[in-house]
Amino acid sequence: MKNSNSVNSNKRKVSIWELYLTKEIAIEFKACLYFFSILFFYCVYRIIYGSWSADIIHLIEMIFTCYIIGYIQVYLLKNFDEAENLGFIEVAGMLICTFLYCLISYLGGWYGRNMVATLIFAAYILLIYFCVFYIYKSKRQIDDKILNEELKLFQTEHIRNNKDKK
Amino acid sequence: MRIDIQHIDEGESSVVIRYKELTPQIKRVIEVLNNDTGKLWGKADSGNVSIKAEDILYLESVDDKLFAYTMSDVVRLEGTLNSFISEMMDESFFRCSKSMIINVNKVLALKSLASNRIDATMEGGEHIMISRRYASEFRRLLRGDR
Repeated sequence: MKNSNSVNSNKRKVSIWELYLTKEIAIEFKACLYFFSILFFYCVYRIIYGSWSADIIHLIEMIFTCYIIGYIQVYLLKNFDEAENLGFIEVAGMLICTFLYCLISYLGGWYGRNMVATLIFAAYILLIYFCVFYIYKSKRQIDDKILNEELKLFQTEHIRNNKDKK
Repeated sequence: MRIDIQHIDEGESSVVIRYKELTPQIKRVIEVLNNDTGKLWGKADSGNVSIKAEDILYLESVDDKLFAYTMSDVVRLEGTLNSFISEMMDESFFRCSKSMIINVNKVLALKSLASNRIDATMEGGEHIMISRRYASEFRRLLRGDR
């Protein structure tokens, strides 16, 4: 007969569907994050060139590009912005995605096919990738501290409970 | 080994063990009678051995065989990971992946990894991965929300 702990544990175990959903939400989050970053750059560019309006087609292209590159990042490029360390594969992933963003921005005319603006955009995307990498890394370091504090508390309480039982 | 079981109507129940050599099997019977629970019997390179459950660092299932790892021994146990968890009824043994159970009390440090995985450093220095599937449950266990 199974004890109640293992039954509860089975009920709470994450299903494959939930795992898939978690990954999809992560991609969605990434797409929003990069979309807003690109949108900021786009708005600044438009303002500098004297325009106070944004092209809706450009915005649609941006959001779709962010989704597609989000999928590429997660499923093909080892989710490099959430990697433990920045190695060759991670930097290569960043460069590939930056190139894709720049190519689509150039073909879509987000920055009027201006080469200088496209190059500055490339540098901006790379900067965003490095920032996101360090943000995720810092988040995990904080999480480490919380996890280890909770572990010590668990172990102390468990040892105390065992002594009480004896 | 001959086993004599007698039913008595009066007097105190007693168990008499007569042996020529104190074999692991007899040792085990004595330990059960002494109510020395929490010990597990299994096979190591040196033969049948008993280990305390609290000394286990982690358990691993390899080709349907269950192995318990302590600081000094690797002991093959009877049963499966599921049956072990069910029988132990001890929160400190946590199923951390399809093929492993860790003793949370023997974890030295935890490290949060990408994709919600957790790396557990055991007292023996081994690194054991708590997979994404079990990481949320592990966090709940540590917080006492289970």
